[in-house]
Amino acid sequence: MSITTTGNLGPLILQSLAPAMLYVPTPTMNYITVCDKVSMPSNGGTTCRFMRPRALQPPTIQLGNSGIDPPAQVPQRDIIDAQMAFFGTGCIINEQVILQDQEGVLAWVSERLAVAMRQAEDLILRDYIISAASEINAGGGTNGDNPTNLGISDFSLVATTLDTNNAYKFMAGIEGMDRFGTGPVRSAYFMLSSTELQSDMDGLVGSGFLNQWNYPNNSSALPSEFGSALNIRVLTSSEAPVARGASANGNDVYYNTVCGKQAVTHINQDGFSMNLIYRDPYYSGMLAQNATLAVKFAQAQALTQDTAIRNLLCTRLSNLGV
Amino acid sequence: MTEYSRSAKGSFTQAATGNNVAIYLPFQPTRINLTNYTAYGAFAQHGIPSATWDVQMGQGTAAVLLNSGATPTLITDQVTSNGFSTFAAGTALQLGAKQQIASIAKASPTVVTTASAHGYNVGDVVILEGLYQSATTGMPQMSGMLFQITAVGSTTTFTVTWNSNQSNYTALSASPTGAFVQKVLYPFLYLPGQNFITAINTTTGLITTTTNHNFVVGQQVAFRIPTLWGSTQLNSLPDNVIPGSPIYFYVSAVNSNTTFTVANFPAGVTAYTSNIAVASVPGLTPPQVVAVGDVNSGGFPYTGGNLYPSPAFPTFSGGVSTINGPAIQGAFVNNTRQGFVIGSGSAVTDASSHLSGTTSDVIFWQAFIDDISMP
Repeated sequence: MSITTTGNLGPLILQSLAPAMLYVPTPTMNYITVCDKVSMPSNGGTTCRFMRPRALQPPTIQLGNSGIDPPAQVPQRDIIDAQMAFFGTGCIINEQVILQDQEGVLAWVSERLAVAMRQAEDLILRDYIISAASEINAGGGTNGDNPTNLGISDFSLVATTLDTNNAYKFMAGIEGMDRFGTGPVRSAYFMLSSTELQSDMDGLVGSGFLNQWNYPNNSSALPSEFGSALNIRVLTSSEAPVARGASANGNDVYYNTVCGKQAVTHINQDGFSMNLIYRDPYYSGMLAQNATLAVKFAQAQALTQDTAIRNLLCTRLSNLGV
Repeated sequence: MTEYSRSAKGSFTQAATGNNVAIYLPFQPTRINLTNYTAYGAFAQHGIPSATWDVQMGQGTAAVLLNSGATPTLITDQVTSNGFSTFAAGTALQLGAKQQIASIAKASPTVVTTASAHGYNVGDVVILEGLYQSATTGMPQMSGMLFQITAVGSTTTFTVTWNSNQSNYTALSASPTGAFVQKVLYPFLYLPGQNFITAINTTTGLITTTTNHNFVVGQQVAFRIPTLWGSTQLNSLPDNVIPGSPIYFYVSAVNSNTTFTVANFPAGVTAYTSNIAVASVPGLTPPQVVAVGDVNSGGFPYTGGNLYPSPAFPTFSGGVSTINGPAIQGAFVNNTRQGFVIGSGSAVTDASSHLSGTTSDVIFWQAFIDDISMP
């Protein structure tokens, strides 16, 4: 008896493409979330200038009865400049790829370019912030390193610093409700933190850290919000900056950016943010063989309230999963 | 040449023998040619008149022609380390390999000795880690801060600006466990920024930083000095005269790449000290000065060169222009960059030769990305 099997009569084409693309692991982009947004005008030069008046001396000395006016004050202002820079990347795709590949190459390459641009925008802000903002080393943890792991007192210290600096909080508080396991949430600054610290923060539950799912309601929670401690609401991302092995004891150092409103400003020029540029093969060479897909954007950034931002540096207590 | 190739050319005069030379480009080349015009003319021993590199050879290599021998003959040779390499300085906190620290004697400035050849150059930025001799002694006060190397004494020693010759510091010896140094591969991506303070002269207002401060005259700066370090009167907040109003200072003179003077330095500022007890190190925040603004307007003073040059860093001497266009002096600017480095590595058969030439050599270079590269 002869049985015809796929060994001697296989399918004409062995594979078929699954109907959906697989997702691309992409970090949450938190840094743009906390930025003020400003647009430089077109024909506006290379540099965006900010002006912040300085406080005048409050007239706390009585005039007396002499009839003589006190000396006038000279108003002063602070000036902050930021230079515009342009960024871009692209792909050159031969028309034979577009013509012959079964999947929509142009569609998914466009999507990838857009995500790359948004991630660049966020990474630039991230790196700018860690280079420009001052830092506070955590000392409230127990691991004896410098900086230590996060202790609840570190949240308190940074929030106290920003409060003392008269920074503006981002979020109003959430009133407590009679729901099991929930607790009220204070008005808060944002802390942009690493997902690698989440297990350490879980370890602070009971000491003052409140997981996001223990808020009385979650309507104001952001998608990347992990929880809150005292006057700080924590957003986590896997792209948060880490200096590997750089602590006093050779452990990883995490940069947790804690900031209030207007601490960082993201600047574009004339809406020149996210241009997706497609040029079909007609524009390439005499035989029109290659299409191009590219993204381009203009961006500058500045610490516009240096007193309202600190990088809280810490190490980690728990082991890191792999 | 077709429309997607990239090519660039340029020249420079070597400032000092042994210098690596970074060339900033809008791309990272896959092929590089170098002509040392001076070496062609001199035909002297140790000269490398020309060199070439292809990315397939590997980073840090080169194929060279070498003037070999006391009565030179032109031979072929290879550079196998510190030759040509490309770089993409776009992301912060990239650190080089950990290198064991063998010892650090108490001194000012501080000289670090590594257990093996460190490969660092003057100007490199490093971070020191785990400087404990025992659980309660050592120099961990210096850990975690960035330091610019001010001198390279030998292949295993380098100098950083810090006073470790103080009572709370104990010399390191015998390669303590966990004592490492790492190079910060791409420092100064965004300028000006935060700096660590190594000294404050409370009489003259001269501030010394551990790395290039990159400030200009007219820069507005703020101090963040925790209590243990002294000089807290300089801190921007709190302000007891006008509560809530930050106290800023202006840079009145840039004295060197790592020192500057602030105007209107107040009287009565308590002494700065870096003689911190080892027991205070956990949670110790270093003293810092950050740029917060500037009072400049317009471009750079005309010096006979470009009317509108790009900002150059460091700001006092030896500055290299950013690849972006003109900006106000003191503005926050982007200094991300890419290109290639002409290393000072030697040919295999002549340790006294240098790919990047010797002092005053005039060197021409060409860099390419090709349309077709096989394999």
